[in-house]
Amino acid sequence: MRKELTKRALRQWDSSVPEGLQERIEIKQSRRNFLKTAGIIPAALILSACDNTSSSKGSSYKTNILLQAPWNTFSAVQNHLFPKDNESPGADDINATSYLRSVLALPGTDEEDKKFIRDGVGWINDISQKMFNKDFYLLNNQYKEDVLQRIASSSAGESWLSLLLLYIFEALIVDPVYGGNTNKVGWQWLEHIPGFPMPPENKRYYLLR
Amino acid sequence: MKDYDVCIIGSGAGGGPVALTLAEAGYSVLVLEKGPWFTEDDFFKDELACCRRSVYTPDLKDEMHVLEEYDGQNKDGSYNWASQSTLESGSDFWNGNCVGGSSNFMSGYFYRLKPKDFRLLSEFGPIKEANVVDWPIDYAAMEPYYTKAETVVGISGKIVPHPHQEPRSTPDFPYPPTIEHAVSGLIDKACLELNMHPLPTPRAILPHAVGDRNGCAYSGFCGSYGCQTAAKGSSRAALLDKAVKTGHCKIQPYAKVYKLSSDQSGKVTSADYFDKNNQKQSVSAKIFVVACQAIETSRLLLASTGPKHPDGLGNNTGQVGKNLLFSAGGSGTGEFTYKQFDTELANGMKQRGPFVNRGLQDWYFINDKKFGAPAKGGVIDFLFRHPNGISKANGEKWDNNGKLMWGKPLKQKLKTVFAETKYLRFEVFNDWLPTNDCFVSLDNSVKDKWGSPVAKIRLGYHDHDLKVGRYLADKSEQVLKQMNAKNIRSSVSGAPPPNLVAGGCRFGDDPATSVLNADCQAHDAENLFVTDGSFMPTGGSVPYTWTIYANAFRVADIIKNSL
Repeated sequence: MRKELTKRALRQWDSSVPEGLQERIEIKQSRRNFLKTAGIIPAALILSACDNTSSSKGSSYKTNILLQAPWNTFSAVQNHLFPKDNESPGADDINATSYLRSVLALPGTDEEDKKFIRDGVGWINDISQKMFNKDFYLLNNQYKEDVLQRIASSSAGESWLSLLLLYIFEALIVDPVYGGNTNKVGWQWLEHIPGFPMPPENKRYYLLR
Repeated sequence: MKDYDVCIIGSGAGGGPVALTLAEAGYSVLVLEKGPWFTEDDFFKDELACCRRSVYTPDLKDEMHVLEEYDGQNKDGSYNWASQSTLESGSDFWNGNCVGGSSNFMSGYFYRLKPKDFRLLSEFGPIKEANVVDWPIDYAAMEPYYTKAETVVGISGKIVPHPHQEPRSTPDFPYPPTIEHAVSGLIDKACLELNMHPLPTPRAILPHAVGDRNGCAYSGFCGSYGCQTAAKGSSRAALLDKAVKTGHCKIQPYAKVYKLSSDQSGKVTSADYFDKNNQKQSVSAKIFVVACQAIETSRLLLASTGPKHPDGLGNNTGQVGKNLLFSAGGSGTGEFTYKQFDTELANGMKQRGPFVNRGLQDWYFINDKKFGAPAKGGVIDFLFRHPNGISKANGEKWDNNGKLMWGKPLKQKLKTVFAETKYLRFEVFNDWLPTNDCFVSLDNSVKDKWGSPVAKIRLGYHDHDLKVGRYLADKSEQVLKQMNAKNIRSSVSGAPPPNLVAGGCRFGDDPATSVLNADCQAHDAENLFVTDGSFMPTGGSVPYTWTIYANAFRVADIIKNSL
């Protein structure tokens, strides 16, 4: 009498089902897809994508850090995925790159998922070099679009972009206490009414347990 | 000399009523809770904390489940089952793991069962390949405790007579309904035009301050969120805080019970647990009460072997974990644009905070030749799409062809979804029939961070559940259509909602086919009781929490009289 339960097409119950359930499943699937295709990406490129900012010295690096690898690439991808226009904020307006940097540094997100996000930088620049002989962040808008379209045509690449979008949405709609949604600009644009009370600094999620 | 009169494992809706009843009676009570102890001071409307990071639930790399799903049929007609750990799949099966359990995070749609729910087999006859049985008690035995929960837990609502209204010993709820949204009137109008009976949904939410608890603040973020005013009737806010104040109840957070030890006579002697520092501890009591939510309760009993219980406590006839229940049904959505209303109504529709609080019980029992023989049906609840913004945005990033969107088209879509559209949803609840293909066992290879085998859950369901769910979803869609909603769609499936779970230790008079007797006492261990949703042989077609509260108050009185 039983039929196949396809993927956990779990209903979005409005009760105590964690709302992030679907996305968590999505992330896990992304990772699996990525691992399946990882073999076709040169290992050296993956390694080169590691965050090298920890070796930077001096006080000025803090302000310039988002201009350095890998953040310059993340920033370029985020601003292409979520561009500013006259009516609405773009990735820079919601502090998306800095927010992503904090996500990758904070607990609560799976370490392997973080690695997947970081590794994608090597991949995108590899494709960018092959197509246009330049790193992604140096390309013009049309070439950037060409690279992203190419990436999105593979399931691993689409999963990676989909994850970057997820953290753009977090930066857009998260409580400003986490460093995104600068001056509530995301809420204002979307006319999103947040709930009260909002979390104070000493009650951010990673300080609760 | 025992350390405590009563030791309760689990602090959710099954544990709270026992703790409060016995502490108020002056008995010494210890509550062991695996998770942390959050209070009102820790609950904010923070989507990351509630829903996007593991704050109220364990990290899956520390604690996981193994899920078994149908994976094709063999030539001899038997089924294959593919198993995968939730760490691998990301399909999290935890609910709230903290003091008060998942009752902290419920929406609090509260329904009683009805008299016929206690005797489905007698009323509707057997269903092939389903293990439907009558309960060993009737509605009259539960009714006083449903009523008690209304006052003590705090249930607000208003009785409106209708064809399927269950009998009550009081005329109405002790607390008036919470404030309603503008859409509630539109639902009423459409239902009445369709000759349906729209009903106010009772909620475990206080509309005003009562004792130390404040009334609802109408933030609009309720389900999935902890309540900062204590208006929500969680086991913690409504019961355990009070139990602690008696001076007779101690709550021990970060206490992961891995085994109940038992002696040569078969009685439980100690609860053995890991403390916050992962050190082994042991505590003795006269009576042990297990209420870890259905899946973990079965897991703990199966792991608790002893000289008289070679296959686990309560499991001398192999019944523990069997006949696990979820809630069957599905959900659907219709869309309204603010432009379709006049200014006043549009502003009302945009409002966040007041509750929709509308449901239908017209098909609680189905008597329709088009459906077939008379059958048990279910309930329909109306609600808005969850207000969580990140989740909403993330759900919109795919176009109609399943292709990822970005740039300007994505941003235009987000603006439309957030600022121009209101989504009215419905949820269908119907019985998840008990079958031989839905049960809990221990996994042979996957272990949690303390080295204990994790629960393996087989997730088979019965096709009849889908037939009933589809019938109710079609009725729900008629209402949305009558309201002139656009893009109406619904989905009914056999996917189990992990937050609506019961069974696994069903009660009954025959030890060969049940784990507990009518008092929810183990047939084979006289000082062991189970008071979460595990006792239910059939689930009824409503969220379980009110019945869990009521039954736990009932069993608490039984334990009190035995001490």
